[in-house]
Amino acid sequence: MSLPLHYVNVLTGLKGCRVIEDPQALGKVMKKAERPLLVFGPRCIDIDLGGKLAIEYGVEIAKTMGAATCATAHTKKKLLELGVTPDSTYDAVEIINHLKDPNWVGVKKQGNHDLVMFLGMRTDFGNQGLSTLKHYAPHLKTITLCPYVYPHATFSLANLKVEKWKEYLENLIQSLK
Amino acid sequence: MSKGKIKEQEILKTIRAEENWEPVGPTPMPEISDLRRWDRRLLKTYKPFYAPFCDLCCFCTFGKCDLTGDKKGACGINISGQQGRWALIFSLMGCSAHGAHGRHLVDYLIEKYGEDYKIDLGGQVAVEAPHIRTVIGLKPETLGDLRKAIEYVERGIINGVSATHMGQEGNDIDFESKSLHIGMLDHVAMEVADIAQTIGFKFPTSVADTPLVPLGWGAVDKSKPVVTCVGHNAAVATVMIDHLMKNGIYDQVEVTGICCTAHDNARYSDKTKIIGPLSKQLFFLRTGIADLVITDEQCVRCDIPELAKAAGSALIATSDKISYGLDDVTHKEVDEIIRLIVEEKKQVLIRDVDKAGEVAAKVLPLVAKGRTKEILTKEKAQELANKCTACGMCDRVCPNLLKISAATSGVRDGKFENMSDLFAKCIGCGKCEQECPKSIPIITLMQAAASWDTYNVRVGRGPIHDVEIRKVGAPIVLGTIPGIIAIVGCSNFPEEIEEVVEIAEEFAKRKYIVVLSGCAAMAAGYKKDAEGKTIYEKFKPEFDAGGVLNVGSCVANAHITGAAMKVANIFAKLPLRANYEVIADYILNRVGAVGLAWGAYSQKAFSIGTGCNRLGIPVVLGPHSAKYRRLYLSRKEEDDWTVMDGRKKELINTEEPSPEHLSTVVESKERAIITLAKLCIRKNDTPQGRQLKLNHYISLYKQYMGTLPDDLQNFVRNDKDIPIVYKKEVTEYLKSVGWKPKPLLTLPTLIGTYESNIPIEAVVK
Repeated sequence: MSLPLHYVNVLTGLKGCRVIEDPQALGKVMKKAERPLLVFGPRCIDIDLGGKLAIEYGVEIAKTMGAATCATAHTKKKLLELGVTPDSTYDAVEIINHLKDPNWVGVKKQGNHDLVMFLGMRTDFGNQGLSTLKHYAPHLKTITLCPYVYPHATFSLANLKVEKWKEYLENLIQSLK
Repeated sequence: MSKGKIKEQEILKTIRAEENWEPVGPTPMPEISDLRRWDRRLLKTYKPFYAPFCDLCCFCTFGKCDLTGDKKGACGINISGQQGRWALIFSLMGCSAHGAHGRHLVDYLIEKYGEDYKIDLGGQVAVEAPHIRTVIGLKPETLGDLRKAIEYVERGIINGVSATHMGQEGNDIDFESKSLHIGMLDHVAMEVADIAQTIGFKFPTSVADTPLVPLGWGAVDKSKPVVTCVGHNAAVATVMIDHLMKNGIYDQVEVTGICCTAHDNARYSDKTKIIGPLSKQLFFLRTGIADLVITDEQCVRCDIPELAKAAGSALIATSDKISYGLDDVTHKEVDEIIRLIVEEKKQVLIRDVDKAGEVAAKVLPLVAKGRTKEILTKEKAQELANKCTACGMCDRVCPNLLKISAATSGVRDGKFENMSDLFAKCIGCGKCEQECPKSIPIITLMQAAASWDTYNVRVGRGPIHDVEIRKVGAPIVLGTIPGIIAIVGCSNFPEEIEEVVEIAEEFAKRKYIVVLSGCAAMAAGYKKDAEGKTIYEKFKPEFDAGGVLNVGSCVANAHITGAAMKVANIFAKLPLRANYEVIADYILNRVGAVGLAWGAYSQKAFSIGTGCNRLGIPVVLGPHSAKYRRLYLSRKEEDDWTVMDGRKKELINTEEPSPEHLSTVVESKERAIITLAKLCIRKNDTPQGRQLKLNHYISLYKQYMGTLPDDLQNFVRNDKDIPIVYKKEVTEYLKSVGWKPKPLLTLPTLIGTYESNIPIEAVVK
């Protein structure tokens, strides 16, 4: 398994993520989900990928695949500015706490989610949340959409430079259409 | 083991049960499982949330064992049990640090003044030790009584440590109960330590308007001999200051400190200066401004001998907890020790407080002679950064995920803006340097980019006064003072240090009571307004609406939780004595106090927070604290929020998640502010109080999230709770989500909702 970009997230264990370098392959995984959820973290508000914010890529992914959305931290305000009303607003640990329960109703009250995607968390904080889901939520798969290896995710992107990440996200969106 | 008659008699003797200041309550000197039912009740609503930092257990020779998912270790422990064990270990480490600190102070002061030396905290503080009174059942009168309290803590620690051994406790909830117990003991230990030093060193007490002292590395006159004390135990520094005065040279030297010793030095003498929190330890020591470094205990870097040597500073270690492998010269004569330091340039360990203080005072002018102290210039910094290839290795190891390579390569190119920004966010660990393939001294470069301005901090004031509690007790319980925001803990901040000031100011402006301590209290001084004033100059220092006060060092945190206990006692007339469950229940349901540990890093911070939780005080943590791997979260409206109405003696499902969590982590400053406001909501709020609390919650939510809170329906009990200014839009919103009025109750309590020996009458006064 690839090393995470930030060494604070080095895996101390045996079950690590699968890094998916091909956006088409990741798209295939995402398409299989019946009730996907995309969780927005605050860092995607400020990352500019050549005139388009990371959060806008997230919105496009969610729209394209019909995923429910959850705004954590203070991302709700930015989503509203972008004309998007998130399906739910929680702190990151709160939504993760709900996701642990296989019988939870989910953010759209249609049942718990089977796939959860994360975009824009601090990598250390995000990896801790993913650890909770790895250990306590075997009923769902997790995907990180940030340009870093997250060892506790089910599927993660590789450590990517900004340009490559932008390219990856654009190809991913194409594959979801 | 349950208590037998002999043990009961011992306890009654220890607490002098015959003294009738209050009747002895149900749990004098509780053992590790005596409050287990209270803990289990708390943990039924606020279940442990685990985020394992490590999937393996490597405690014994059975291992390493993989505990991923539903796997068990060779001993049978599962991942939750292991996380609970870590929680207990962290609490034990934190409690032990404060406990050993308190023990050292008490023993030293008993040697000096005798065990009958009286506790006198001044005319404003009659309830001198709410934790010792409530937990132990003793009204401490002397240093000897403080020793009894610390002995009780020590016994608890042994039992707690034993439970962490392989083949002992294995259930996560029971680990958590023990962790909560040790957290409770930590507050006793802190109270012992701070009372001991306050009476022994004659720190200010019963005074709110304490002096302002200079803050920041820029405040130090480096042309004078400079001594820097690092750590948390000011005993040696007090003796040193006495000798400096006696020798007539106190005004010719600079006595400075880093971390909590600096706070307590300032309580001893307001001529001392505070360099800053522990995140500035490496930065400052690297400058070589300190001619002499004195280390005591807690949060002291492990590599100070190496740092001091490289900077040309002399070093005296003074604690048997941090001996650094140095020669122990305690038994040698003062003059001989001075010779070793001055002539042989030896770094030494002196375990005798009085001798260490005397040596420090005498050696300071000698070691300062002939030293030159040059702060790195921009030109020199650029030269040092010249080899930077922006490889990014520094970025990968930074625990704060900072973009160090961009800042360093900027310095290389003569641009310092990024480095200045980096310095504001740097937690000061130095891992970037050791990873740099070109050995660029990145922390040193910061000297050329940092501000060398001078700020200030108000000297720690110690206990909250009884008269202040009498004034604010009713408004706090009724909710018309919207809350107490306690900003505490270390400096492992996720972003700029100034965020602490912004959070504190937001609540002070809104007339909450803002209480600070430790490194957070220092961080709050690091920002000036347009008129050059810090937060300590802009807000009153009283424990009152709109006040901003610094209680002091880490051990003074006991006065913050103690203030909540005093509200139950002085305002609500509930007896404290051995009455922990009733007091904690009162605080949970009626005192809108919340802690914020925005930069918590140590096990002490974990233990303090856990002690707050058992007492019914929620704690909000910064994002680094996810690495503590345990929180206490509710499932919000999906949980059962049934409480007892103490007057009607009826179980009532309030449908109101208040306080919503006991321990939670948030990722951004904005979310922290919103969460703090929400966690001040209590079931006991009057309609007027609830209106005020919701007014702030709505206003802050709109400011940072752009809409009405989407959980507002959880906290509006009836129309009277709706803030007038938002009446129309809130009413429309409530209608849109199908809100219905919630049951009202007059005296909310958890007593009666679980099996307990406490009668409901005990909470009705």
